[in-house]
Amino acid sequence: MTRNFSRRSFLKTTGAAAAATAIGAPAVHAQVPVLKTTAWGGKWGEVMKGQIIPAFEKEFKCKVETDSAFPYYPKLQSTPKNAPLYDVLHTNTSEQWQAVVEGLVEPKLSAKDIPNLADVYDYAVSDKICGVSAFTSAIGFGYRTDKGLAAPKSWKDLADPKYSGARGSYIIPVNSLGQMHLMMLGKIYGKGLTDLDAAYKALEQLKPIKMYDFTGGMEKALLSAEVNIGVLHDSGIYRYDGQNQPIAFAAPSEGVLSLEQVWNITPGTKVRELANAYVNFILRPDIQKPLSEAVWYSPSNKKVKLDAKYDEKLYNTEAKVAQLIQVDWKWYNERKDDIDARITRILRG
Amino acid sequence: MERSAKRHRVSPIAWAIAPAALLFVLFFILPFGVMAGLSFLSGNPVSNPNVTFTWRHYIRLFDSDLYFDALVATMRIGAVTTGIALLIGYPLAHLMARMHSRIGHAALLMAVIAPLLTGIVVRTFAWMTLLSDRGVINTLAQWLGLAEKPLALMYNEFGVVVGLVHIYVPFMVLTLVGVIGRIDVTLEEAARGLGASRFRAFLEVTLPLSLPGILAGSLLVFALAISAYVTPVLLGGNNVLTLPMLIYQQVSASFNLGFAGALGVVLLVVSLALVFAYNTILGRLTGERQIA
Amino acid sequence: MSRRFDPGRAAYLTLNGAIVAFLLLPIAVVIIFALNPTPYIAFPPVGVTLRWFVKFFTSAEFMNALWLSSRVAAIVVVLATAIGAMCALAIARGNLPGARLLTTLFLSPLMLPAVLTGLALFQVFMLSGVGRPVWGLVAGHTLVAVPYVLRTTLAVLQNFDRRVEEAAAMLGAPPARVFFEVTLPLIRPGVIAGGIFAFIVSFDQLPISLFLVVPGGETLPVVLLNYIRFDLDGAIAAASMVSIALALSAVLLLERIIGLRAYVRL
Repeated sequence: MTRNFSRRSFLKTTGAAAAATAIGAPAVHAQVPVLKTTAWGGKWGEVMKGQIIPAFEKEFKCKVETDSAFPYYPKLQSTPKNAPLYDVLHTNTSEQWQAVVEGLVEPKLSAKDIPNLADVYDYAVSDKICGVSAFTSAIGFGYRTDKGLAAPKSWKDLADPKYSGARGSYIIPVNSLGQMHLMMLGKIYGKGLTDLDAAYKALEQLKPIKMYDFTGGMEKALLSAEVNIGVLHDSGIYRYDGQNQPIAFAAPSEGVLSLEQVWNITPGTKVRELANAYVNFILRPDIQKPLSEAVWYSPSNKKVKLDAKYDEKLYNTEAKVAQLIQVDWKWYNERKDDIDARITRILRG
Repeated sequence: MERSAKRHRVSPIAWAIAPAALLFVLFFILPFGVMAGLSFLSGNPVSNPNVTFTWRHYIRLFDSDLYFDALVATMRIGAVTTGIALLIGYPLAHLMARMHSRIGHAALLMAVIAPLLTGIVVRTFAWMTLLSDRGVINTLAQWLGLAEKPLALMYNEFGVVVGLVHIYVPFMVLTLVGVIGRIDVTLEEAARGLGASRFRAFLEVTLPLSLPGILAGSLLVFALAISAYVTPVLLGGNNVLTLPMLIYQQVSASFNLGFAGALGVVLLVVSLALVFAYNTILGRLTGERQIA
Repeated sequence: MSRRFDPGRAAYLTLNGAIVAFLLLPIAVVIIFALNPTPYIAFPPVGVTLRWFVKFFTSAEFMNALWLSSRVAAIVVVLATAIGAMCALAIARGNLPGARLLTTLFLSPLMLPAVLTGLALFQVFMLSGVGRPVWGLVAGHTLVAVPYVLRTTLAVLQNFDRRVEEAAAMLGAPPARVFFEVTLPLIRPGVIAGGIFAFIVSFDQLPISLFLVVPGGETLPVVLLNYIRFDLDGAIAAASMVSIALALSAVLLLERIIGLRAYVRL
């Protein structure tokens, strides 16, 4: 037993030393300004951390810390407004709207401080967006091409009996694609994006439908033929480009929904100039290009010139972006709890 | 088993509880208190100074049968998972405890631990691969002609229970192994010497003596099963709603920390009550009045 | 144990065989996934490749995360077994009032979804200005690891024949010596089982880590989860396999040093 104790104390001291080193580390960086922001992982994260962030750090002589541990919102909510956890928040539109309502991010970005705002498409700074949508993807259908079924043309095709038992969507309370699809059901079967009664009825008709909690699950389901059609954004299909998978993207005739990647600044940030510079940086054409092409997102800066194969499929012209449908997230978030309760009842039954 | 004379004074070794107490006060009671506090406020005071005291979150919870159903479903899934984990875990623990071969023992130990180390997300993906309509089991079943349509093994409580049992059986096994291993084999042999069959010796000697282990293992598995999130979400889809899923939704997607806190408080209180009751009942059964 | 009763024993062994197969089935799937060239979980497999392992080992992010997870887990094992074992002894031997209540209290972190524990810890850390140091992560993991050690150690303590201790005391050994040379070795199985749990719990811990890790200092489960959101390929399976191999080697090493025959009655 004496062996155990000396080993334990040895490990304890090593552990303490390791912890001390970790605590000591930030002190080194106090000499340069630090920008705290968020970033997705995977391929996106690779490009950000490998290319984009180092380039920004070099040009602006600073350090950027990116948080990849989603969820970001509750963390931001739990820090005081004058000492926010993030200086720049990159997340989807639904969360940005809630953040605005709670005063955690700015309602509008300043065109004076972020000159590149002048070069983006209208949708990127529309009144449906708070902050700026630096990228977007189009939500339509992902479907399998080897089932002998024609490509879906309308949002209504999801209810087609030939897809029975093989259609997929999302767990609505946690997934914004699912939420947008719900609103779309209101538009297709009812009076508009806010016609919830029609949406609920339509959802009832779609049962049984397999529900996933994020797009990766849907991609996997399509790839393994667990579903033959599913609500998915174009990026989710195009990223398998070159791998010869029997899946394709279909943009329904009624229009595609816009899944925006939105950047915004927190009011309490201590490095406001740097934060503005960062958002401006993300909007630069030479920065937008590699990010777009890495994950097949459509860039929002009009001046971006994508390579041919991306240009063909992504939404990179005025005509194409006109097809993007944006929803009223402020309206949805206000009713979210009731909607979630109703949805769960409908689907559980 | 003889008991030494009961000492009514608190023994000095009671001070050994101090580190645990300190850890819990600082890192559990305090944060939990904060969370419980949040559940009575209309917002997060950190980011929003104008919050008021409210019962709103609790009223909402008890008003809607949706949340009550979630609580019941959570407890039910927990109980079923525990029962099955016990039935599956006991034989394996018994084998491991009685195994003489050191290699065999190490091999079984690794077989038991390995599932836990795959990582919760990957492991649940693996179950999805096995249970889904086009997954391994259904493909094999249709190929062997055992089923015409895919069996609904997933997106229901069945799939969730299978996934949870798989994750928590190792905990049951490892808890039981130590206890069963401590049982004096000569007691069993004595019973057999007196004419009892192996099964009867097991039922009347081994099983009762391993009751503390059964208690400990069941409590562990139950507690874990009712707080599980990843597995019910990935294997149950929208068709199964447990409290942890609700809590997670509220925290990460519904921006509703107060309600999440209320759900957490209710889950904890109900679970603690159940655990305390279970502890007491089984404690009486084993005749142990001193230790939980 | 005599081997005369073949039918009974055969049934017993078959049952256990089936149980082991059930436990290992998903691992077989993960292995196939890790070696399969297709970038998603598919069955039947189309080939064998090591590229996912290469991808895993050449990724600085994965390697840093693996290293951090291992370090944190090692510290947590030490802390949790020490704290948990002491707590079990105190409850079992200390004649404390409300022992059952205390045990239930110490079990409560397990019953609360870790997402809430993580969030609550995060909020308290931020408010008190502590920030998110590595020791905070260790504390969070230790909190959820201690209940396991407590439970397994208590279970062994309950089946304890105290006459062994009494005999040692009667033979003249002072209480401290009785403790170190009789009690501690006999509760070793419970403590070791708890220690194994503590390691696994810390290594695989996700929700608390999500809130308490800092950019650049993420644990392996966090990195994997975020990876999955964007890239659903075999790298996560490779990560899984490496975790298993790592932990199993640790278990084997432990076996050599301490001798896991400690599980079996001496």
